[in-house]
This record gives sequence, C-alpha cells and structure tokens, in this order.
Amino acid sequence: MILLEHLTKEYNGVRAVNDLTAEVPDGEIFGLLGPNGSGKSTTILMLVGLIEPTDGRCLINGLDVARNPITVRNRIGYMPEDVGFYPTLTAGENLTYFGQLYGMDAKILTPKIAGLLERVGLDGVTKPVGGYSKGMRQRLGLAKALLNDPSVIILDEPTANLDPQGVADYRRIIREVATSGTTVVVSSHILEEISRVSTSVGILSAGRLVAQGSWRDLASSVGNRSAAHITIRVETLDPMPAFSHPDLISAEYEQDRREAVIVARSDIRDDLAATLSEQGIRLRGLSREGLSLEETFLSYYQVAG
Amino acid sequence: MAASRLMIIAKKEFFDHIRSRKFLLIFGILLVVAIVGMIGGLSDYNKNLDDYNKHLSTIQSPLSSYMAEKPSILSVFSAVATYLVFVGGILGIAMGFDLVSKEKESKSLKILLSHPVYRDEVINGKALGGIAALGCALLVVLIIALATLLVYGIVPDGNELILIMIFGLVSFLLIFSYFAVALFLSTALDESGSALIYTMIIFIALSALVPTLANNTVTEFVVGSQPELPQELVDQMQQSVNKSDVSGISVTFSNKGNNGAWDAFNEKMQTYWEKRQMVHDTLALFSPTMNYESVTAAVTKQYTSSGMVVGASGSTSIVSSFNVVSAGDAGIDGIISTITANLIALLLFPAVFFGLAYLWFMRLDVR
Repeated sequence: MILLEHLTKEYNGVRAVNDLTAEVPDGEIFGLLGPNGSGKSTTILMLVGLIEPTDGRCLINGLDVARNPITVRNRIGYMPEDVGFYPTLTAGENLTYFGQLYGMDAKILTPKIAGLLERVGLDGVTKPVGGYSKGMRQRLGLAKALLNDPSVIILDEPTANLDPQGVADYRRIIREVATSGTTVVVSSHILEEISRVSTSVGILSAGRLVAQGSWRDLASSVGNRSAAHITIRVETLDPMPAFSHPDLISAEYEQDRREAVIVARSDIRDDLAATLSEQGIRLRGLSREGLSLEETFLSYYQVAG
Repeated sequence: MAASRLMIIAKKEFFDHIRSRKFLLIFGILLVVAIVGMIGGLSDYNKNLDDYNKHLSTIQSPLSSYMAEKPSILSVFSAVATYLVFVGGILGIAMGFDLVSKEKESKSLKILLSHPVYRDEVINGKALGGIAALGCALLVVLIIALATLLVYGIVPDGNELILIMIFGLVSFLLIFSYFAVALFLSTALDESGSALIYTMIIFIALSALVPTLANNTVTEFVVGSQPELPQELVDQMQQSVNKSDVSGISVTFSNKGNNGAWDAFNEKMQTYWEKRQMVHDTLALFSPTMNYESVTAAVTKQYTSSGMVVGASGSTSIVSSFNVVSAGDAGIDGIISTITANLIALLLFPAVFFGLAYLWFMRLDVR
C-alpha cells in the first residue's frame, strides 16, 4: 500500500507539490493525472526517494521512503519519463548491471532477463542501447521496472514514445502484474491512457490533489455539480409542459419526437419529474447525458482554477 | 552488501574506461611517448656512462674518482616525465570530464539512483573505477619502461627501484589530480562539453600560468625588486674596472670597511632570494604540474650514484652493491625529505577536488 501524508515539495519558495494526501491500496492501478507542471513528476520522485519532501512523508508498505530509501528501492520498480540507459551496453548488459545492484545472482539474472526481454518484445535485439529508438528504450524501461519483482511499480509517462503495439503490450503487462497483487502508479497527462489502464485516479492541479477515486465516482461527483443536459420524453406535448426552476438555463421542445431537452446548472431531474406530475403530464422517460472523460477531467481543473 | 555495490559500480566504471576509444587512444599515445622518452633517455645515459668510464680510466688514483659523477639510470625517466606532464594530464581529464555529466545527459543517473544504492557508493565507485584504470595504465607504462631498461642491459638496484616506484607514484598522483578536477566539474556542470572546457582551462592555468606567475610577476609583486648594489661598491667596482686590474678588486675587498658593505649587501640579497624562493615554492604547491616537476627533478636528476661507485678494489666498471645500497639509502632519505611538501601537496590537491565532487554529488538535484 502507498500512503502519501501531507506531502509538500518546495523549489526556491515555489510549491511544486502542496499538502498532497492520498492512499493507494495493494493491487490497484492508480493513475496520477494532471497537465504539465502540475507536480506529477515531483510526486513520483519523492515516491522513489530521489528527492526529499519539504514536508510530509511517503510510506510504501509502511516504510517511510526518506528514512529507508534502500529498503524501499529494493521493493519498487521505477521507470522515469525520459528513461536512460548506458548507450554502449546491450539491453541484457544494462539489466545485468541493475540486477547486480539489487543483489541478484547471475544464475537467477540470466534467465530472468531473457524472460523480461521477451515479455517486452526486445528478445533477439543484440545491438547496444545507444542504437535504440525511444520506444525501444521505453520497452526496456518497463523490463527494468519489473526486474526485481517489485511489490510497487511506479511509471512516469510510460507510453509517451510507444507505438500502438507497444501501448497494447504495456497495458497487458501492467494488468498482469496488478492481477498478481502488485500496486502500480502511473503518471500521465494523457487522459485516454490513464482511463484505459487505471482502476483509480488522482487528479493533480498546481501541486494539489483536487480529486481521487474511481472514474465512476469522479464522473458522478462532477455530474452532481455541473451543467446537465436532461432529455424528457412525454406522451404528448399538448399541452406544452411548463418548467420553472432556479437552475434552469434553457428548454427546447421537439414536437415530432415528443421530447424536451433541458439544460440546467445542476441535475434537476427529480424536480422536473415532480413538476410534470403536478401538471398531469405522463412521463415516458427522463435521462441525463453522461459526462465524457474529458468533461470530467476539465471540470476539476475549472473548479481548481 | 554496501562494499559489494561499491565494487559493482567500480567494476563497471573500470571496464567502461578500458573499453572506451578515447582511453585507448590517449593510453596508446602515452605508451608511445613513454617508449620514445625512454629510448632518448637511454641514449643520453649510455653516452654519459661512456664519458664517465673514460674519465675514470684516465685517473690514476682511485680516490680521484670521487670527482666524477656516475650517471643515474633514473635520468632516463626524466624524458618520460617531460611527456607525462602533458599526456598524463590529458589522460586524467579525458577519463573524468564526462563521468557524471554523461549520465545526466543520457538520463541514466536518475535510473541508477533509483536502485538500492547510496549516493556515496556511486561517486566513490566512479572514482575507484577511474583510479583503477589510471593505475593499470601507469603500471603498464612502468613495466614497459623497466622492460626497456632490461633490453638495454641495465638492471636497476634496490634503491633505484624504490625511486622508480616513487616516480610512478607521483606520476599517478599527477594524473589523478587532473582526473579529480575533471570529476568535480563533471559533477557540478550539466554538460560534458562545458566540463571539458573548464577542466582544460584549469589544466592550462596550473601547468603554464601558475609556473609563469611563480617565476616572475607574483614573486616580484610580493617580494619587491632585487636589492641594488650600494653606490660606494659600484664606485669601487668602477674604479677597479678603470684600472683594468683585476687584482685591484681583491685589494679593495680586503678593506675592512668595504667588506662590511659587501656583507650587508650579500645578506640583503640572500634574504631577497630566500623570500623569492619561499613565494615560488608556496605558489608551486598549488600546481600539481609544478609539484610533479619538483619531485621528478629530485628523483631523476639529483639522485646520482656519485661517491658510491668505486669499491675498495678500485674497479671502475663494477659497482659494489654494498656501497650503492649504503650510500643510496642516505640519498633516498635526502630526496624524500626534499620532496615531502610536494608529495603532500600532490596528495592534497586531488583529495580536495574529490571532496568537492563528493559533496556536490551528495546534494545533486536529480530531476
């Protein structure tokens, strides 16, 4: 389990991460979503122990990262945004070096590395990493993140340079490791990416966590406090129903389809149903358009802004 | 476990160095200049030895042989030292200027530090790998130098071997000094190109600028001008010259009052030169190149086997090992006491820069 408690990081008096508190249960794929400069990478670096928080703390499996960096790093796998390797070494040699730093024996390492390279689609590539494309380096980064069988995997913008096949492979692998109980934290500014792979999400804006939960919860939460497009289907529009509500913005009638499309500042479906009932109009249906991912996401920024 | 991680990093760095083209290229150049220097030095040594043997053969009394100086085989290393100052410095810089900055540029530093390693293990491992590669390079040079001596039929005795080892040690310290400067700048700067340029500037300043300043400008500024000859002595010298009688000068100097003036002048001059030497020596301590030159001069030139050559038999061609060892011991003691300050400075210089690199790396912002 990952626990972030009042995590704060300042650079020259500017708060890159501000009082961030969050919890990620075991086996969860947690998406850290936010635009560039929102504090995602700084949060990730604090999680890995590469920078120390100005205030607050990160706990991974109950261990404070800043106080137990070596123990924590033994248990996590990390892939940074611009993943870099030693260009004169091959993929196998790079992974062997990192594996040795984990204290892994050559007997264990050799078959493990071969398996990982096959898993990420780099088996049979013998040239030095200096000759790799960005996508290939990203695949190797994923293999490296899995090298020590970590209980927590932290990935910063993992699909930024991957081709469609690479993205599909990445999603498959991430789901597989999460199924086996590994906690995954994925940071990205690509909404689609987070929504496709994560089981829960945290939205960062200007260093603050403005929302956390499942997509369904977040969308529902947004829906309760944002503009709603409500479609009312009735038996007849004669007489024309009359709507009156403080949150009502507009009402348009479709005679042919016997529908009224209502735009309101909030979800006023219950009030509308009551009004129609009072007017003796029989209701055939009352529906509300769901918010797209983008609308949900942007809604939080509008609120945070 | 900690030692193991340090060794893993050091091992990787060592093999990175010895496999790199720039190392092999500069090492190759170092080998060539060392061999060329050795051959040139050996040619001079053989010529001097012939002159010495000829000189001895013309002398009847064995005691007269003390007037001659048998050339030391250490003089052969003098030419090697001349080349090593430059090529060795470049080798040290080439090995250190991108040690950390390259990892920043390739983004591998972030991924390395995300592993279960302490930062001090990383920087110490890098330094250790570099030191091992430098040590190997220098060891090969020394072995080839010794092999060259043997090929020419020259077998160094115990004392000479000790001095050759001291030569090797200070050569290593010189190269390590510039390696440490390069490592520090590689840690402090984000780009390898900038680290290289600044290291070269420091190298040039310490190798060329400081020696120039130590000899002229700064010394003049601190100590002042050389004392001038008092007018009365100038007048007396003028009178003596006018008389065109050299012996007149000695007559004049025998005058008690004038001797006093000369004594005072000599004392002033002595004080002046002592101060000048002190300023020079103090400045020299800040330059690894100057320290190296002082030490190698002491080791390769001041050490001669004169006065310990001729055995009781009076033979001039065979050197008694007993005599060499006993006299040589005193020689080594003398040399070591002469070069102690330079040796300490040569040890301190890389230690300071490595310390700076260490501190900088420990506080490095990895983003």
